Amino acid sequence: MNGDLMNDDCSSFLPLSPATLHILLSLAADDLHGYAIMQEVARQSEGKYKLGPGTLYDNLQKMIQRKFVQELGRRPGDDDPRRRYYRLTSLGRGVLTAETDRLSEVVREARLRLQVAKPRRA
Amino acid sequence: MLRPFYRCVLCLHPRAFRQRFADEMLSIFDHTAGKPAAIRLLADGLISLARQWTLRPEFWHEHELSPSQQPAPDGIPSFYTLDPFRPRAGAVIHGLVLSTLVFCLTCFAIRYSWIHVLHVRIPEVQFESPPSIPVNPSIVASAGPEKPTVPARSENQASVTPSAAPQSAVKVSAQAPPAPTATRDHIALKPGVRSSAAGRSQSRVSSDAQPAVGVAGQPTGQLAQESAMSSDLQSNLLPVPDRLRPQPQAQQPKAQDATREIVSEIVPEIVSTVVADVKLDAAARQRVIQGAAANLTKYYVDPNAAKKMADALRAHEKNGDDDATTDGKAFADLLTRQMMDVSHDKYVTMVYSTVTTPENPPAPTAKEVALYRKEMLESNCTFEKVKILPHNIAYVKFNKFPDASICGTTVASAMASLNHADAIIFDLRDNRGGYSNMVALVATYLFDRPTHLNDFYNRGENSTEQSWTLPPVPGNRLADKPAFVLTSPTTFSAAEGFSYDLKMLKRATLVGETTSGRGHMGMGHRIDDHFTIRVPGIRVVNPISKTNWEGTGVEPDVKVKAADALATAQRLAEMKLRQE
Repeated sequence: MNGDLMNDDCSSFLPLSPATLHILLSLAADDLHGYAIMQEVARQSEGKYKLGPGTLYDNLQKMIQRKFVQELGRRPGDDDPRRRYYRLTSLGRGVLTAETDRLSEVVREARLRLQVAKPRRA
Repeated sequence: MLRPFYRCVLCLHPRAFRQRFADEMLSIFDHTAGKPAAIRLLADGLISLARQWTLRPEFWHEHELSPSQQPAPDGIPSFYTLDPFRPRAGAVIHGLVLSTLVFCLTCFAIRYSWIHVLHVRIPEVQFESPPSIPVNPSIVASAGPEKPTVPARSENQASVTPSAAPQSAVKVSAQAPPAPTATRDHIALKPGVRSSAAGRSQSRVSSDAQPAVGVAGQPTGQLAQESAMSSDLQSNLLPVPDRLRPQPQAQQPKAQDATREIVSEIVPEIVSTVVADVKLDAAARQRVIQGAAANLTKYYVDPNAAKKMADALRAHEKNGDDDATTDGKAFADLLTRQMMDVSHDKYVTMVYSTVTTPENPPAPTAKEVALYRKEMLESNCTFEKVKILPHNIAYVKFNKFPDASICGTTVASAMASLNHADAIIFDLRDNRGGYSNMVALVATYLFDRPTHLNDFYNRGENSTEQSWTLPPVPGNRLADKPAFVLTSPTTFSAAEGFSYDLKMLKRATLVGETTSGRGHMGMGHRIDDHFTIRVPGIRVVNPISKTNWEGTGVEPDVKVKAADALATAQRLAEMKLRQE
């Protein structure tokens, strides 16, 4: 029951923009600072999607407000004391899960259709 | 190298964003290697800047708003606001456009509304007056430097409200002598033009920004003008109608001597600058012609005629028509003829003076101001007759439109004494013009609301000043009474303006003969130490007819001989009163 409600709440945020999706995805495994998020996004997309700081922090700003992401603040002993770390919240994780499910459906549907459309040999 | 720029870009972000993320963004910049990458980050920062200011208004005050949502320290809830309202960027733009539109419409409405409480400006334009006293050209050459000056409006003005006048109509400003610092360019900027004399002819500009009902004037300027009219010194810009041209010197009144004494007392230094007559060579002639052409092109009211005159002057020079003329005055007369042949405007004149015309003439002195004031008050401000004729018809005859700041009280008294008349006759048959502020003041008694009289177009500045009547005088009963204006061929300048304005507004019936025909105002422009050109540079434009009376004069509604005008007007007034 609660899971359904959670899914309904998360579905209202879908679909996610590519930037939001990639940021959530990069934070799914670990808490990261902004620069690490950029690098992780580039790694995930094999360098095809590069996130600039302006876009990154604009999205982080929105995600913090929507409570997808939580700001952890600075970590002592970091290379650069200016860095702040960000963590995925449970809501953010739910949204990412819902978006992943949605995309899975899209991919499945796309594959199905592409398979049907494939010309058959006589 | 690019780091300071990037930092500046970050500093320009909205405060909330900057405080939260600027350090981190700068950190990323510092970890980026290579110039191309730095440039990409800079571009990204600029895009972010635009995005945050245009698309993210909801985040602008995020930090500032949050404390307001905290409970009061004493635990008692005081004010709670709804969720912080953050308008969309589009709404902000719409609001801006709408506000601007409403503001413009309001200004437009005020400008054209009947209620001109917020728009009472009386451009104090000095019409030119013909000299009432003959001019002796021979004396001009020896004593009259032709240098325009612009007595600037002094800041030391004391406002006085005359007891005899309704406060709203005649708040009069007395003024200290103007400062002599204005340049000639300034002359052309203002609608007021005035002649002067006393050995340093001046063109003068009156103030353009008057108080709501004030009519601050420059008595010093008019003093100069009055001196010009009563002395044998030729002013630098007086357009003298042919019929008013010089008479034998023997006919000059005694007052002239008094004026001349004052003149020599005031400007002894100018007399001392008289130099021997200079023989003109080709270079000097060319310099004068070039100066004349430049001034004509810049200031003359009709650009086409100005070009024709300038071309004519150059053509004559090229043809050698001027070569034989080495005498200054003869050369000035020759150029005047050449210009007049083309323009047929007798008020465009070149003036030669044997004395050196100073570039910055001294300002009129307090003595001149006092003299003008004294003369005006002793002559009852030229109000010759103020009386009630049979059938309760008011009759007022005045021979100038003196400065309202000096004569406002007198006019108010005169009009108050006629307030209960059933009709009014203005006798301007001998009126030789004067100040536009007096035109507006007298006309005020004929209207129950501020009324647009005319515009003054300044060619040199390409600007227009408006002239309006003042707010209605409390208790005035003449606003709806029949009015008549008597005119003659000697009705001149401002007096013509008064007649023309009332005729166009259908507020008065003009009786008599066609007026002189002077609708432009000019000023003197110094070319060099000895030559000054007088150029009509301001055109009066009536808002109804879109033209003026220049050259044609003002035609009366009822044409009779000037001598019979009063009797005719009386008959017309009586008939009108019987009909009512």
